[in-house]
Amino acid sequence: MTGVHQSPAIELRNLHKSFGLAKIIQGVDLAIHQQERHAIIGPNGAGKSTLFNLVTGKYVPTTGGVYLHGQNVSGKKPYQVNRMGLSRSFQITNIFARMTVFENIRCGLLWSMGFRYSFWNLVNRQRKLTDRVDEILQQINLLARRDELAGVLTYAEQRALEIGITIAGGANIIMLDEPTAGMSASETSYMVDLIRKVTEDKTLIIVEHDMGVVFDLADRISVLVYGEIIATDEPQKVRESSAVQEAYLGSAVEEAG
Amino acid sequence: MSIERQQSTSVKTSLIPIRSAMPWLIACGFLLLLPQFFPSGAGLTIMNQMAITIVFALAYNMLLGQAGMLSFGHAVYMGLGGFFCMHLLNQVEYNQLYLPLPLLPLFGGLFGLIFAFLIGSFSTRRAGTVFAMISLGVGELIAACSIIIVVFFGGEEGVSGDRTMGPQVFGFDFASQLEVYYLTAIWLVLAALGMYLFSRTPIGRIANAVRDNEERAEFLGYSQRNVRWISFCASGFFCGIAGALFAINYEILTEENLNLATSGSILLVTFLGGVGFFVGPVIGAVVFTLLQTVLSLYTEIWQLYLGILFVLTVMFFPFGLTGLIAMHFRPWVLGKAGLLIRPYAKMTVPALVFLFSAVAVMEILFHARHSSIGSEEMNLFGMTINSHSPAPLMIAGGLLLISFFAVRNLAPGLWNAWQDANHQERET
Repeated sequence: MTGVHQSPAIELRNLHKSFGLAKIIQGVDLAIHQQERHAIIGPNGAGKSTLFNLVTGKYVPTTGGVYLHGQNVSGKKPYQVNRMGLSRSFQITNIFARMTVFENIRCGLLWSMGFRYSFWNLVNRQRKLTDRVDEILQQINLLARRDELAGVLTYAEQRALEIGITIAGGANIIMLDEPTAGMSASETSYMVDLIRKVTEDKTLIIVEHDMGVVFDLADRISVLVYGEIIATDEPQKVRESSAVQEAYLGSAVEEAG
Repeated sequence: MSIERQQSTSVKTSLIPIRSAMPWLIACGFLLLLPQFFPSGAGLTIMNQMAITIVFALAYNMLLGQAGMLSFGHAVYMGLGGFFCMHLLNQVEYNQLYLPLPLLPLFGGLFGLIFAFLIGSFSTRRAGTVFAMISLGVGELIAACSIIIVVFFGGEEGVSGDRTMGPQVFGFDFASQLEVYYLTAIWLVLAALGMYLFSRTPIGRIANAVRDNEERAEFLGYSQRNVRWISFCASGFFCGIAGALFAINYEILTEENLNLATSGSILLVTFLGGVGFFVGPVIGAVVFTLLQTVLSLYTEIWQLYLGILFVLTVMFFPFGLTGLIAMHFRPWVLGKAGLLIRPYAKMTVPALVFLFSAVAVMEILFHARHSSIGSEEMNLFGMTINSHSPAPLMIAGGLLLISFFAVRNLAPGLWNAWQDANHQERET
């Protein structure tokens, strides 16, 4: 892996998170290199989504730290983490259903293009902004549905839009939470291509249940079981690890293999 | 929503969007000509009242419709803006402060903004119920203060002044109603345009995003709290302008301008018009003011009718009166509006009979219960009837029943026609 000498894109140090008595994350150490595609897998209830929420600022760690390019971000709000160049998608489609597809993407661009909270610009007059939105729509193949309300898109289109909103701001760390959940095989393979295309030269962290997607996309895989990472390695080695197979993978590996 | 879609596509074609300027030009012309049709003092008073309510309702909708914040104490910002303007007017009168009257709304706006900034600093931390409860508490607090702090709020008599004491502007001293009307109309257009343009700015668009999905907005780099706070300040600014216009028109502000009844009625006005549309509050304010001023001349129980109208709107037309009009846009575009003419025509007579007989029943009952002893005669739709004899009530009741069943029988036909008119043949 390149970038060992640089600080990792994301580093988790002895991360713990409890809700009351329930210990969801119990000591996670993980370093994700820049431009790495990293997958996190694990059985239901292993704490994958909690881990996501800890990294993106939705939850504050009980103990331990989250470092973004070497900077501690634990306790920072989601919008602060986002401004440091991290963007995420959601497991449940989380778009602005009452806005048009175009406006959805535009919302993702406003901050990063420097518009911030301004009330002295009219968004419609910003040629650069509009052009950039159209570029992204082109990239995610939704240009034809530009002026539709996001709520009327098909499920697969909404998932693509979700990814479009996530990458719009130009963040260099992209975190995707089950981007292919509930998709057919052909939709899934389309989505994998899309993800590969839009996250080129970026750090990608993906939570996914579909082993095909994981082995297809990831440079390295971490296996999370009961709030602990039991293995982090290249796909082939994870597949062969007996501990992993025992704990989680089982038949899923054969299916994907 | 369809209006918005037109917007985003038409922008690319022309730099000066004539199509989006048209409604504003028409509105300006309309405001210019209105006094020709209603030159009476009462007419001007009603129109001024409407203009003030429109500004207030539009400002309220910046929160409710645009940012998804339900405020129960919004009279505070209009009222405080108005009170400060009243004191400014008194400074002009007694201490020779140089302040031309047409600029007063700007100061009203600034005062509204300052208070929205202060109160918003803690009330906008959370959305939803928490925000609503804090707004209610603050509203009650300020209303209570207005009776206690007599020096500033003038106690029960309020604060009054004289708008004509300032320097003349182009020879106008604003003693006449007509001059005040034009001043109010100009500020109405300025304020409405300002609020419209605000909704087209980055912060305005993100306010919509926070309204629809605050979590997603946070992950796009925006602090939901700051977005709400800024929206709140902007709303406070325009409420303050409405307060200044009120001060100019009535030359008096009292506790009534701050209390919860006023806060409640602006929610009602906005919802009645339709929160999902920019023009919604405008329509709501016009209808509400008409009901309040004209209907109250004819009946003592106008508030009952207003209440019924509000309940019916909430139950059957959650998008308000504007939504009711906008519903017909789709059949019109599909070229099927014609399908609706016959069912509507059939429905007209029974619906009107139902409406009038319902009104008759309520009026007769009210008169029978509340008229002074010995006065048994009442005037109903130009007829003089005896409210204490059973015959009129029975006739009205009978008509009510018959028309109710007629309406109910015709309803399915209307519904089917409505479905047909909205049905689009699939294009392939």
